[in-house]
Amino acid sequence: MRQIRLPLGMRDLVFEETRKKRQIQNRIESIFQSYGYEEVIAPTIEFLETYQKAFSSLKEQEMYKFFDAKSNTLALRMDMTVPIARICASKYKDKEGPFRFRYCANVFKVRESFAGKRSEVTDCGVELIGLDEQSDLEVLCCALDTMQSFQASSYTLEIGNSSFFKKACALLKLPEDQIETLAKLVDQKSMVDLKTYLASLQLSKEQEAFFLELPLLNGKDGLENAMQASFDEELKEIVRKLQKLQENLKSLGYEDTITFDLGKVPHLDYYTGILFEGYVEGVGTSVLSGGRYDHLLNTFGKDMPAVGFSVKLDYLLDVIDSVSKKVLYLYYPMPKQLEAFQKAKELRKEKEVKLIPYEGCEIKIQEGVQ
Amino acid sequence: MSLSIALTKGRLEKKTVAMLDQVGYGTQNLKDKGRALVFEDTIKPVRYFLVKSNDVITYVNHGVADIGVVGKDTLLERESGNYELLDLKIGKCKFCVASLPEKKVFNKVGHVKIGTKYPNVARKYFLDQGIDVEVIKIDGSVELAPILGLADGIVDIVETGTTLKENGLVILDEVCDISARVIVNKASFKLKREEVLQFVQDLESVVKSDADTNQ
Repeated sequence: MRQIRLPLGMRDLVFEETRKKRQIQNRIESIFQSYGYEEVIAPTIEFLETYQKAFSSLKEQEMYKFFDAKSNTLALRMDMTVPIARICASKYKDKEGPFRFRYCANVFKVRESFAGKRSEVTDCGVELIGLDEQSDLEVLCCALDTMQSFQASSYTLEIGNSSFFKKACALLKLPEDQIETLAKLVDQKSMVDLKTYLASLQLSKEQEAFFLELPLLNGKDGLENAMQASFDEELKEIVRKLQKLQENLKSLGYEDTITFDLGKVPHLDYYTGILFEGYVEGVGTSVLSGGRYDHLLNTFGKDMPAVGFSVKLDYLLDVIDSVSKKVLYLYYPMPKQLEAFQKAKELRKEKEVKLIPYEGCEIKIQEGVQ
Repeated sequence: MSLSIALTKGRLEKKTVAMLDQVGYGTQNLKDKGRALVFEDTIKPVRYFLVKSNDVITYVNHGVADIGVVGKDTLLERESGNYELLDLKIGKCKFCVASLPEKKVFNKVGHVKIGTKYPNVARKYFLDQGIDVEVIKIDGSVELAPILGLADGIVDIVETGTTLKENGLVILDEVCDISARVIVNKASFKLKREEVLQFVQDLESVVKSDADTNQ
């Protein structure tokens, strides 16, 4: 028997699914465009080295890798931020910023077997390169407008700042390995293990309480509580900036759809300031994610601050209403083929026409919905 | 907004339901369950379903369940990416390394084989000890492996130690404590924060302190 199958985590999209995906893609892209972002297209394959340069803790086992004729290791791109950083640092090396890049491209990650995860997803996003944290507000507005365009029943954009955790650890002069463990426990909100781990460290009661409170510095009073928990002026300054962002977003009318979480600390070596994730009811994982990464461009030789985000289009397919469209079916007998084609040409100016040869005598037009 | 909660079938089930009872959840349907798989709470806007421990993680991963109650043993074996907000302090036991008294595991010169239902836990434990072992996955009656000579030792869950003793095995080391945990899907935590935290607080109020459970 012939077996026809797809590699792990790969999916075909059939007509209706594709239509849905393109529709949501169009909505997102028109928002990106309205913010002045320009599209770029990058190759699907990069040198593995490019990614190794960008991430100090690259999970190479999550990348599809292979060799070129000269035995260089190649990889399918796992994101678009790194390729765009590369493009900006090479193709725009002598140009003055700021740069507004946008893209819509498929990215690849090797997934565990039988977990129902996608290995290839379409990433639709923007990178704003060359502006410092003053531009955080702009990017957040763009992300919120994007979330709104999904037309989901309920959604939220959660904002944190990776410096908050990092600064606290630096102030307490914690060693690298402890920071790593703490980062993981705080980000996972592993309240139980976090408590046990903190007890094993030589911290004061106040410091212990700070880290124990950190994972729950979110929700309505999140920022207020964070201010109280801050044991240093520098930490307070970070919270103040978030409060300012909150105020600004509020006066721009985004208040209902944002929350803050100071307990977000993923990718220690990557994000340098705000980071945010968008959640939509009905999807078990974040559909939008982004943040500030002021050091990435420097690894490619162009020292510029940057911020960006992307939407994983495929995660949205289950919660987006399907779209139907009208088509005309034009039935024709073979002797009247030319006449039928003439007619179809006229009709196509207005509508979608599907030609169907049949056994009858006359040309027949029917409206249908797909 | 209503909550969907995945509970681990079997060992943890009764104890979890008892805790829910104590804090005023309507668990009647969970008690007279017949062949049903999904149960509506008779008092609160909550829906339960009973699945195997590993599946609790899968359902929560995908956000099909907002919350799950599952043993730390399963969580240690499989990194889940969900929030782990509470220790229910039920279903307490330990991960242990055990072997026959005459077998060497820690100071054997040469190739060491370890039989276990939890290959990731076993591998990590031995690597942390600086010992490179071969892990052999076994699905049940792990105690048999050293007896029949398939492995030098085992890593397994030990509750009372009776099974080990009956088979002539001794505990060589304790890896870590295990108990039931409440895990929460990340997206659910963001979108249903109040409901999720309320549920966690409700259960937290009846978690027995260590002093009580050790009595």
